[in-house]
Amino acid sequence: MTGRISPTLTGEVVVRLRGLKKAFGSNEVLKGFDLDVYRGENVMVLGRSGSGKSVLIKCVVRLLEPDAGTVEVLGEDVLALDPAALDRLRVRVGFLFQSSALYDGMTVEENMEFPLRRHWIAMAPKEVDARVEEALQAVGLAHTRHMYPAELSGGMKRRIGLARTLITKPEVVLYDEPTAGLDPITSMEMVELILDLQRNYGTSSIIISHDLNVAKLAADRIALLHDGRNYAGGTYDALRASTDPVVERFFQTL
Amino acid sequence: MQRLPTVLRDTLTEVGGIAQFTGRFFRNAFHPRFAWDELVRQSVVNGYRSMALVGITAFIMGLVLTVQSRPTLARFGAESMLPSMVAISMVREIVPVITALIGAGKIGSSMGAELGSMRVTEQIDAMEVSGTNPFRYLVVTRVWSTTLMLPLLVVLGDVIAIFASWVGVNFYGTVSWQLFQTQVMDSITGADLFPAFIKSYFFGLAIGLVGCFTGWNARKGTTGVGEAAHRAVVLGSLLVFILDLLAVQVTDLLGIN
Repeated sequence: MTGRISPTLTGEVVVRLRGLKKAFGSNEVLKGFDLDVYRGENVMVLGRSGSGKSVLIKCVVRLLEPDAGTVEVLGEDVLALDPAALDRLRVRVGFLFQSSALYDGMTVEENMEFPLRRHWIAMAPKEVDARVEEALQAVGLAHTRHMYPAELSGGMKRRIGLARTLITKPEVVLYDEPTAGLDPITSMEMVELILDLQRNYGTSSIIISHDLNVAKLAADRIALLHDGRNYAGGTYDALRASTDPVVERFFQTL
Repeated sequence: MQRLPTVLRDTLTEVGGIAQFTGRFFRNAFHPRFAWDELVRQSVVNGYRSMALVGITAFIMGLVLTVQSRPTLARFGAESMLPSMVAISMVREIVPVITALIGAGKIGSSMGAELGSMRVTEQIDAMEVSGTNPFRYLVVTRVWSTTLMLPLLVVLGDVIAIFASWVGVNFYGTVSWQLFQTQVMDSITGADLFPAFIKSYFFGLAIGLVGCFTGWNARKGTTGVGEAAHRAVVLGSLLVFILDLLAVQVTDLLGIN
């Protein structure tokens, strides 16, 4: 971190990234990214479009294989896990896609039930039903239960995607541009939802965004991704007050 | 590898990719956590919903082959051989291959497009990150469904084609169904039925694997979906002919003729 050193943080680290590198051909996207996320906090990774933010969180759950570095999630060395152990870990980590990625051949209810059924979690139908209801209530969309994704608006899809992510009660949630493409009011609703989930479920989060409003409202801490590295970190106010030229320019232009 | 001509390099890459994909299928195919509900759903989509197309095609083929072969056989006074000749041609070669080609066109392309669309809209990634093993859920069930359904469609096609042949024979005279059936049954042996049935399983396996392979590896963007469907049909049809050629060689070697 070259722009600003974060205040010393204590507590249980749930995500630890060290020297993360990823290149696509000759395009080096991540050049040694470091990050610690503590239990119960929302960390936002801010960066310009194409800076490698999505690549970063995809490496956390091994949707992409990093070229070098270490990824530790909930005490497990992610890169060393066999497929079965990786699947078990992934149940404890939620991922909200920018596109929501709802299964379009299934109703909202089936989308929600899918992770529970496929994990072979011994759960009575009534319990599954209650879990679906609870998750849909949490995002305020209980009435969409029997609708198909094609019948939902962009904002509703994003919230259903979030509800599906929460159905397995993950300890860590990774948000990929949760407010991208949404109007300001729906964006604020998403931010409120993220904060509600942090309060009610005690989740730790990495939020990928280039939206400074989201950063201001939802992030306990910000990591600035610049030139493939964690260039600067700290609270919103601390970074905003920074006199580092890169950080300053970032806050002025975004 | 870099020194090879592009076409050859692409072909080798494709063959290697399919071989790797096939290996992954067999590693997952007998996993105890099997998605039976999805297998049933896929079997309905790929088997039950293909019955009408296979049935109509088999009827037309049986009828046309009978009507067109009749004058030639009549010239040699071998008109009575018509039921046997049509039945053997249909059972051994025409119905399995045509049904497989229909499968490559209808089932393979829809698999390529469906999985391709799921890939480009990150639905497969979403399954992956939720730890639900999309390969087992999406690919294994689809490949098993085509492998199990295609032989059944071939049997259906055989029966309908033979019935259509009886209809064709009756255009020019009156032959009872019992007599026709007896003639057909007397001429068809296990050596005709068994290899055709076995090769149908391989056709089904190939169609399912190629359809899923192209969709699973679809490139980003909407053009990737169309390309996946197109490649599924081309590669699937080609594989059907290659497997048919191999089946002939194997039955020849084993003396099943």
